[in-house]
Parts: sequence; structure tokens; C-alpha cells
Amino acid sequence: MDDDALRAWSVSVRYPGQPEPALADVSLSIGPQALTVALGPSGCGKTTLLNVLAGFVPPSQGRVTLAGAPITGPGADRAVVFQHDALLPWLDVRDNVAFALELQGVGRRERHARAEALLAEVGLAHAARQPVWTLSGGMRQRVGIARALASPSRALLMDEPFGALDAFTREQMQTLLLEVWRHSGRRIFLITHDIEEALFLATELVLMSPGPGRIVERIEPGFSRRWLAGEPVRALKSDPAFIALREHLLDTLARHRQANDKETA
Amino acid sequence: MPSVFSSALPGLTGLSAPRWRLRLRHPLTLGLFSVALLWLIWQIAAGSGWIQPLFLPAPQAVLAKLALAAGQGFMDATLWQHLAASLSRIGLALLAAVAVGVPLGLAMGVSPVLRGLLDPLIEGYRPVPPLAYLPLIVIWCGIGELSKVLLIFLAMLAPIVLSATHGVTRVSPSRLRAAQSLGASRRQLLWRVVLPTALPDILTGLRIGLGAGWSTLVAAELVAATRGLGFMVQSAAQFLVTDMVLAGIVVIGGIAFVLELGLRALQQRLCPWHGQQD
Repeated sequence: MDDDALRAWSVSVRYPGQPEPALADVSLSIGPQALTVALGPSGCGKTTLLNVLAGFVPPSQGRVTLAGAPITGPGADRAVVFQHDALLPWLDVRDNVAFALELQGVGRRERHARAEALLAEVGLAHAARQPVWTLSGGMRQRVGIARALASPSRALLMDEPFGALDAFTREQMQTLLLEVWRHSGRRIFLITHDIEEALFLATELVLMSPGPGRIVERIEPGFSRRWLAGEPVRALKSDPAFIALREHLLDTLARHRQANDKETA
Repeated sequence: MPSVFSSALPGLTGLSAPRWRLRLRHPLTLGLFSVALLWLIWQIAAGSGWIQPLFLPAPQAVLAKLALAAGQGFMDATLWQHLAASLSRIGLALLAAVAVGVPLGLAMGVSPVLRGLLDPLIEGYRPVPPLAYLPLIVIWCGIGELSKVLLIFLAMLAPIVLSATHGVTRVSPSRLRAAQSLGASRRQLLWRVVLPTALPDILTGLRIGLGAGWSTLVAAELVAATRGLGFMVQSAAQFLVTDMVLAGIVVIGGIAFVLELGLRALQQRLCPWHGQQD
């Protein structure tokens, strides 16, 4: 057992007025070097799971811990990157990143220097003084990632961060995320409904199904480590093993959907 | 054939229009055109003799009266003294309405309990015409300056409070949660996330409030005033000096419009992201 892990222990969440729980008996362990991806269709509870790990939603049953300490609310040790609307449009790119440092009481000069270094890391050194509302979707997500890296977080929790991006930008962001993951050494928990994205990024992939939201399968794809070792993205995504896993996941999801449909009928 | 967009959003058609057409469609050009057209219609209507000067004096007569009021004065005060009296009342009322309305609106936006308690009161008094509660204010506060400023203040307060409340409710949960996950305290969330997000709405509330304040000015200056643009207009109306009535209306409209333009420019400067993709 990894004592330094971010862990969900038999977590269930039931929202008031809902007939069935959004999450039922979910256990998960995200180790210090892990990039865990929760994959599933809408309504499978993956956002609820992220909200529980972030401390935004308290579990109805079970508990969440980070390095053994209970999580009772949001905190700077778990930075969250959202798909939309999370940046501060009245600040420029550098100040958005520096905002995380300002909240920690870092002095102006130092936080600007550190923000610029982080922007260079995500390929946005040239846009430091641009207003964020003039940026493209992909650039905004880079700012969001740089800002999360500026916090003293031990985990990055990412809520479908690339869901609104076009296919080309999405693939660029996926490889950028892997670089960031390698350099920062932080654990990442990412949720997505994109099977290829999940397979490519995850060191551990948890497949979730609705009615109630639960984990139905766990696999360790390993393609991210192969990309970091130098294999090209396209070669990996057209690898027979990648395609076979993709088909397997699609088939599993379809079977669970059919089973759920039968139950509700 | 015009597209759906060109009929629904005429500004979009300008994207491919020649430069001279773009200039013609500039808001300033269009605004000047509408003012010039109104002036022309007024000139024709007054100059043709269709309408007696008692009911509609010619524009030049109004301008002459304005010059007279500026130089020699009207009702024991020059135009500038009337203007200063009105502007000080509007300014004081605006300061008080911002000082009370913005924090109250923010608090109502943050606290559903406070919103539940105060919303019926504010929404209840908001549609009541200021003239309806003017006698009550005179009974409570007398006929001094306080009554006049209070009446304008009350007209301004409701739109400022409601706009600030609405601004707070527009803060996206993602933005709040992202800031929380970066370690923002409750106070930091309010000052660094909620207030700047609500700022465009607060400024819109100020614009609406200022408009309401100007429209209440005449009623406020019914209360034993000796100076003020509203007082000037009422006095002129009592003596059927129609050109002075129109001169007062032109000044009130002009000043209110200039202040509105100033607030719009401030909004554009402070919140350039507003209305953009954010």
C-alpha cells in the first residue's frame, strides 16, 4: 500500500432528491508518480469522483485521504484544472499564473519570475502579457495547467481539460501534459469521455459506468511511458495493442449500457 | 438575399462592406445623424408656424434662452449655479447609493438568506414612482437638502443593488472552485474572484441608477428648492416660459448623456473582457 497516495476509500455519494447514488462504493489509489484517468460516459460519476477528491463534494459514505490525512474540503495540495471559465479574465496571462503564488504570499518579483518560467514550460513565454480572453482554447488550457503547477499542489485534478479542443490541438495538449507530468513529478487524476485520450495518457485507467456510478474495470495501458521513451504519438495510437484495448473498452461500455437499459426497463 | 445573421445582427454585415459604408454605420455617425434629424424636424415644425411658439419654440430661441440663463441667470441663479446644485445632489446621491448598494448587492448575491429577506423589499419599492413616496420623505426628513438627496438616492439604490446581486450570481462555479483549489480563502474569493467578476454588472447598475437619478431630479427639486435644473424647469413651466423649459430639458439630457458616455468608457476600460469570450 502506498502511504503517500491520494485515496478514495469505499466512497459513495448520494445527492439529495436523487433515486440512486451518483457514486457507489468507489475505491481508488493515486500514487505519487501516477497519471490516473477515469473514463466513462456522461452520468457515470466521474465528475463527482473528481469533486470528492478535490474536496468540493463530501462523500455520503467512505472517506478520502492524501498521504493518510483526511480530506475535508478544497485545498492548495490538490489543484483543479477545469474545461471552461476557470481563468480570471481581468488579469493577463502572467498574472493568472502568478495568482496561485500570490495566494501563497509569494512576493511580486518572485511570483512574476516563477510565473514566466512556468509559462515557458507550457510554451507560452511569448504571451505572458496578453489578456487571457484573447487566447485560443488550447492556450487557455496551457495557462490553466501552468497556474495549477504554480500552486504547492501534490496532485493535479483535471476535469475534461481538453474536451472543448479540436482534434489537433487536443493531441498537442496531451503530449504537453505528459511532458509536464514528467517534469513536475506530480500525480495527475484526469477525467475524460474520450477513449483514445484515456488510453494514451493513463498509467492507470479506471473505466466507470452509470446507474449507479462505479468502477467496472481497471487497466494499465502504459502508452504514455512509451511516448516518453520516444515512440511517436501516431505510431502508438495505431499500434495493434492500442486498437485492441480501445475496442475492448468500447465493448465493455456497450455491455454495461445494455445491462443498465435492461435494469431500468 | 439577406442571411439570417444579416437580418438578426446587422452589425455583422459590415464585415465585408466598403470603408465608406463602415464609416456611415459607425455609432457616432448614426448618433449625430439622429440628433441632426430631430433638430431638422423641430426646426421645420417650429419655423413653419404649424405649432405656436408657446407650445414649441424654435431651436434658436431655446439656444438664446440658454445663453441668457448662462449669462444673466434665471430665477435668481445662473445656469451654472443651477447646474452645480443639481450635480452636487446627483453626485452625493450616487456616492451614497454606491457605498450602500454595492456591498448590499454583493452580500445578497453571496447569501441566499439575505437575498430572501431583502429581495421582496427592494423589488417592492423599486417600481413605486418617487413622487408617490416624496410626501413621506418630506414628513420624515423635512424640506432641506437631505430630502432631495434621499429621493434621488432611493431611485438609484435599487438598480445598483440588483445589478451587484446579479453580478455575483454570474460567477461560474468552475472559477470559484479553481481558486479554492489554489488555496484562496473566503475573503480572497470575495475580493479577488467575486468582486471583479461582478464589476461589469455593477457598472451597468451605476449607469441605470444614474439614469433613474436624473429622471427623479425634477421631483426632488419640487421640495422647496431655490436652485437646480429641475427647479429651473418647474419654475419656467409655472410661468409658461416654454423655451426655458426646453433649455432645461436639453441641459439635463446633455449632461446625463455625457455622464453615461463617461461610465461606458470606464466600463470599457475596467472590463474590456466583458461581452468577449471568457
